[in-house]
Amino acid sequence: MDEKIISRVDLMKICKDVIDKGNTLLTPGAADYYVVKDISDIILDTSALPSKISHKSYVFPRTEPVLYYKRSKNDVQLIDINIDSKKIVILGAKPCDANSINIMKHLFNWDHSDEFFNKRANNFMVIGLMCSHFDEYCFCTSVRSSPVSEKGSDLFLIPVDINNYALKIITEKGKEFISPYSGYLKPGDEKNSKLITENVRQPEAAFDSSEVYEWLGENFESPKWEGVGNLCLSCAQCAFVCSVCHCFDITDEDYSYTEGRRMKNWDGCQFGNFTLHASGHNPRDIQSKRYRQRVNHKFRYYVDRFGEILCTGCGRCSRGCPVSIDIKEIVSNCNDNQKEFLK
Amino acid sequence: MNELIKHAKELLEKGEVAAVIGYRQVSEKRTKPVIITEPEETRALVFNEYCLNNLAVYLTKARIKLLGRKNNKSFKLAITAKPCDVHSIVALIQENQIDRDKIHIISFNCHGVVKDFGFDFNGDNLSSKCITCETHKPLYYDKLLGEVKETPQARDSALERIKEIERMPHNERFEFFRSEFDKCIKCYACRAVCPLCYCQRCITDKTIPCWIETSSHQRGNFAWNVIRAFHLSGRCTGCGECDRVCPADIPLSLINRKMTIEANNLFSFVSGRSLETPTLVGSFNEKDNDELFM
Ligand code: SF4
Ligand code: SF4
Ligand code: SF4
Ligand code: SF4
Ligand code: SF4
Repeated sequence: MDEKIISRVDLMKICKDVIDKGNTLLTPGAADYYVVKDISDIILDTSALPSKISHKSYVFPRTEPVLYYKRSKNDVQLIDINIDSKKIVILGAKPCDANSINIMKHLFNWDHSDEFFNKRANNFMVIGLMCSHFDEYCFCTSVRSSPVSEKGSDLFLIPVDINNYALKIITEKGKEFISPYSGYLKPGDEKNSKLITENVRQPEAAFDSSEVYEWLGENFESPKWEGVGNLCLSCAQCAFVCSVCHCFDITDEDYSYTEGRRMKNWDGCQFGNFTLHASGHNPRDIQSKRYRQRVNHKFRYYVDRFGEILCTGCGRCSRGCPVSIDIKEIVSNCNDNQKEFLK
Repeated sequence: MNELIKHAKELLEKGEVAAVIGYRQVSEKRTKPVIITEPEETRALVFNEYCLNNLAVYLTKARIKLLGRKNNKSFKLAITAKPCDVHSIVALIQENQIDRDKIHIISFNCHGVVKDFGFDFNGDNLSSKCITCETHKPLYYDKLLGEVKETPQARDSALERIKEIERMPHNERFEFFRSEFDKCIKCYACRAVCPLCYCQRCITDKTIPCWIETSSHQRGNFAWNVIRAFHLSGRCTGCGECDRVCPADIPLSLINRKMTIEANNLFSFVSGRSLETPTLVGSFNEKDNDELFM
């Protein structure tokens, strides 16, 4: 792997160039990832917690038209959508967030290749930033990641002193992106940055994901689901802020009797009507079944299907849960040691 | 806290209640709801400045109402409620969602809570509802606990903000709400956490006809936030939970508080303050101001 040194000043020059060329530059804030208009807004703080809402909407928007339609007496005419395919550079992605597009890619290319997702995903350039601070809700180290994980990043930044970063070039895409700026790069030494990353404090692993996988397979009917089902309020905060939850609903919006559009909107598996059939039957009719689905989908079904855990350990669903249900606590109790998930 | 634990334990041991809905501490500056059915588990119960959740939201859930079915003893539920949470309980009783005699209210002399978990308790971090709170002692209760303590002083900046918005020219005000509602991701956490949003089927879930587009675009977001404001007008008790949980940081309290002020100005009514007064929406008076009718 190639490692360089870049000063913060030069990095900002690259950012300015990205914006000047008309591309979108995203960076995490406290509430959300936001589009940078002025480079003086860029913070690049390794000690910031994951933003309340992830960057997911830039690759999988919360609402988007997938086609327009026109109806006439004997005919329906379908009109394709031109997908906005601007390049998006995401600067300072938390290591937990950096890998999320790769995790979702499996789903959006499973039995059907979702051109809306793919076009945007291919236009993403991820510049990850090492993370130096975690709280009680972080658990990246329990889901095959870590605060210094380069997974999902095309380029990865490690601050070596106040003014300089070690810049690791991880992918071909990253190499291509940085090559026009090679004048800003000085040769780096992997030993230096390794010394830093090795000394980063990491959250202790909270659970063993393969044991969780086994337990979930055998405990579909566990009475433990009832307790958490009693507490959960059936919103979609957890799914909508999550960087890898990807469920959507298709709905038609008529402008008039003859024209309208078909929308693809975020949906969440904790909503009571998520699995409600037209017949009135609902296979997940009570909250405990819905919560069980959330955990199983993330830590078992997705692993079965794609070999990946559908969770990056960012903890934002727990931080924001109206009733403080902590997914790390739940998953840590996916074993027979305790009678209840939460105590 | 021993008083609380002792009392709750007794209720469960005697079989007077099926469950105690309360708070447990999870870290120094955070608590979370807990539903307790076994007497020994009551030792987890706490009450302090970090008890932010309005637990009244659980009282209308069928699965909680029916907890008593298991032990075949009582269908009564005990709930630990701040005096302001008691307002929500009163509103639910007035709207015939729960029976007063099936609820055992454990309330407290309350001197305020923090605006969000993780903050130190002081005037700067006081929840905005506590700044104007008139009921540090609950209006209704079955058991009153806690000592009377002074509430920290703080400026009512929310009211100042409401006045500011009122003074905005029409288009500027529209722009303000447009930019706020644009942030809404339609997670419906505001609805989920609201004790008064108890509809089995929310109007947003109705598809034929579809009154409110499920899409989280400008029109859909406006429709959702405005309809919720309307549905809570004269009903919202001001607990501030929707505002606290909104992941998009939309200042929902400003809207609810403004509607509460309007309802009070027009009809001299504030929701959840009296078990004797009928609800605003459910009552009619010849002298009612009718300038709102369209
Ligand atoms: S776990 Fe929390 S955020 Fe998720 S649906 Fe339940 S209450 Fe909402
Ligand atoms: S499930 Fe929660 S912790 Fe896991 S990636 Fe989603 S938001 Fe983060
Ligand atoms: S509003 Fe009043 S009763 Fe409610 S938490 Fe604040 S001080 Fe306590
Ligand atoms: S909680 Fe906030 S983001 Fe979620 S639906 Fe309500 S207003 Fe929108
Ligand atoms: S609308 Fe908001 S402030 Fe009013 S009762 Fe509901 S959750 Fe509480």
